[in-house]
Amino acid sequence: MKIVYYVNQFFGGIGAEEHAGAPLEFRDGALGPAKLFEQLMGNDATVTMTIVCGDNHAVEHQDQVTAAVLDKVRASGADLVAAGPCFDAGRYGMAAGAICSAIQRELGIPAITAMHVENPGVDLFREELHIVDSGISIAKMRDIVATMAKLGKKLVARQPVGLPAEEGYISRGLLRDQLGDKTAATRMIDMLIAKMDGEKFDSEMLPNAFAPVPMPARIKDMSKAKLMVITDGGLVPKGNPDKIEGTAATRWGAYNIAGSDDLRSEDYEVSHGGYDTRFVQDDPDRLVPLDALRELEKSGVIGKLHEEFLSTCGRSNPLSNTRRLGREMVEKIKRDGVDAVILTST
Amino acid sequence: MQLTLAVHPITDIQFGTRLSLDGSALTVDGEELHRLVLEDAAIDNVAFDIVRPGESCRAGPIFDVVEPRAKADGGSDFPGIIGAPTTAGMGTTHVLAGAAVSVLAEMSPDPSRSATGRVLEMSGSATAGSAYSKLCHLLVVPQTKPGLPRSTVLKAYRVASVKVAVHLARAALAQAPASTQTFEPIGAEDKSREGLSRVVYIGQIFSRQRKPAVDEPIIYGTNTDGMLPVILHPDEWLDGALVPSLNSWFGGTETYFYQNHPVVLDLYRRHQAREINFVGTVATVAGNDNVDRVRQCHAAANLAKWNLRADGAVMTKYGGGLPHADLSETARLLEHMGIKTAVMVSDVARDRRVESALLFNVPEVNAIVYNGGNGTEYEIPKAARVIAAKPELAALLAGPMTIDANNIIGVTNQQGASRMRSLVY
Amino acid sequence: MQITSALPIAKMVGSNRVVLGTGIVHVTGDAKLPLKDEKDLRRKLVQQALDALQSNEKQ
Repeated sequence: MKIVYYVNQFFGGIGAEEHAGAPLEFRDGALGPAKLFEQLMGNDATVTMTIVCGDNHAVEHQDQVTAAVLDKVRASGADLVAAGPCFDAGRYGMAAGAICSAIQRELGIPAITAMHVENPGVDLFREELHIVDSGISIAKMRDIVATMAKLGKKLVARQPVGLPAEEGYISRGLLRDQLGDKTAATRMIDMLIAKMDGEKFDSEMLPNAFAPVPMPARIKDMSKAKLMVITDGGLVPKGNPDKIEGTAATRWGAYNIAGSDDLRSEDYEVSHGGYDTRFVQDDPDRLVPLDALRELEKSGVIGKLHEEFLSTCGRSNPLSNTRRLGREMVEKIKRDGVDAVILTST
Repeated sequence: MQLTLAVHPITDIQFGTRLSLDGSALTVDGEELHRLVLEDAAIDNVAFDIVRPGESCRAGPIFDVVEPRAKADGGSDFPGIIGAPTTAGMGTTHVLAGAAVSVLAEMSPDPSRSATGRVLEMSGSATAGSAYSKLCHLLVVPQTKPGLPRSTVLKAYRVASVKVAVHLARAALAQAPASTQTFEPIGAEDKSREGLSRVVYIGQIFSRQRKPAVDEPIIYGTNTDGMLPVILHPDEWLDGALVPSLNSWFGGTETYFYQNHPVVLDLYRRHQAREINFVGTVATVAGNDNVDRVRQCHAAANLAKWNLRADGAVMTKYGGGLPHADLSETARLLEHMGIKTAVMVSDVARDRRVESALLFNVPEVNAIVYNGGNGTEYEIPKAARVIAAKPELAALLAGPMTIDANNIIGVTNQQGASRMRSLVY
Repeated sequence: MQITSALPIAKMVGSNRVVLGTGIVHVTGDAKLPLKDEKDLRRKLVQQALDALQSNEKQ
């Protein structure tokens, strides 16, 4: 069995976040986690090629990277493609997901990867791919890769795949029918009794989904409108007075920019564990474009730029946090009479 | 308030000269039935047929399936439809268990959704999920006068369904039943179950997605127009107070499963076993707009909370997709009043994706039973016998053909009878 | 409206007005450009954002 394996710059041994721009490379044989995967897949399995790419490069040049990978993998005669584990590295997850899904779709080669359930790559690719639930801890690497191998073998053999809980993958959000022994009435009453007793129960459907967001009507006249900037890139005043966390932030802050034409590096820092923050640190306008907005306000294009910008950190942030953060921000937006918001997201 | 079911198991139905029950063999007089059904001026002619489990035969479209039952001692059968509209659920009712009266329609109920309508299949792998394939059915094949309005035609089917069902069960009145089932008393008076969780069943019996016909019988013969939620004793559900709307919905609701209501019967069983205190039920209607929904949901939730003093509620819906909003809103209100809920929804996800299945997004409504069926098709063979009201319908049903599981009557059901669920993977 | 480089995520969560930013590490900038050019770029991006706010078209 021939396997092709995809890793990012860190797991490919190039370097950490500062090398996230590393270009696409094709290396012979197994590198990093691919070695473990090869071992766990058994004697007749070989990782013939390890693909390495910097996370930023992969995300920013997704189309070119995917096309180049498809060409190589097509020629490789691979039986299986594996990627990750990506844990909670969001760009890694997106890149791995994009590559695996393209290979699966275009070349018909089964793919297996692993991510933390909150990784944005999951929501994007869960339907197409089998994504093993990796959690966030790299310490679990061996167990995760073992689960990937077990499931990978089934996919190659085209055996039926069991339910997520049994096989260790993240729910793909798909439905299949099954005729069982218990009537719906019995299942419903069983569930209620467990719920009333405070016991664990397995709902047959979960109430979570992204409900469509109704589009607010456009701003008719920007020269009369009050505009506010919000960012989830974690830009905070030096010292991070509100102690906004760099991961799974539970807080947000409002920071005064009245009278400023420009955000200065010495006044700010970045609390965000998910990207290389050097460039924003050097010039915070690269995240909160105050300079451009102030010009537009002075020339009358924008009626008024609100004297504060709001900030939080979007990294690995579960919906349970972000829904609340968003609601709280909306209350302030309404209180302050803001008409329009620009949200900059990393 | 106490109901006793006198149960007579039926293993066969045959035509003969006289209606009679001999052991478990029921004999019906076709001519007598003919006269009975033609009492309705809307019906020009009627044919009857008998189908048995395991036979290679098929019938459809099915209007409704009714279990033959008759009240003893002057009780009212199907109050408000044929009997006086007194309260159901008291006294003795004789039941021909294992038998059914199934009325065929002369047209597909919803041609845009399916040409065949609901099909009764008596053998083969498609029957695995349906309780109806294990019953002996007396099929009623009516021929209504041409040119009648649709609601008049459907009303005629409704009346015929209950008249024939009651008539058949009268054969048992003079016989000793094989067994009787008397239901434990339930309600506010029961001091013996203090400390057990108080559970209510809240069931939608109609959806205002459609306007009912003026004379459409649903609850005690009334059409539910203007109705607010009402407290019913569980025995009322079991004893003829309710029939489905004249217009069928794909989710599946039959009189048979009001009479044999899976939720009510299971709650009774656990009440009897002293696992819960089954305190009562609320019958409600899914609203026709947002204002109506608020009215219905608040009323139903408050009946459960303040009149029935519920600790927990199980809930079913009626109709199509929109009533899920009523279901979830009522459940949300209950949860906020400290009442735990579990709800049963219908599968509307034709693309087999969970996102398409989620008709509400209320975090507190997190105990959900998911009736499947949208993703399953059966290959059914050519049937040796096809019974239908018109030759073109018979031709449509002949087979071999592929049929959605939703269209095999009994596989999907909104009253809790279905064993087909959708798994998330 | 939203300025971001991660377009698929914005679409997935239902963001209605989205403009493509210039990279994850500098959403409204570009460290590779000389300052003057970078400011031009930023101005253009912000103008695009304002256009989006004044339009009823989903982007």
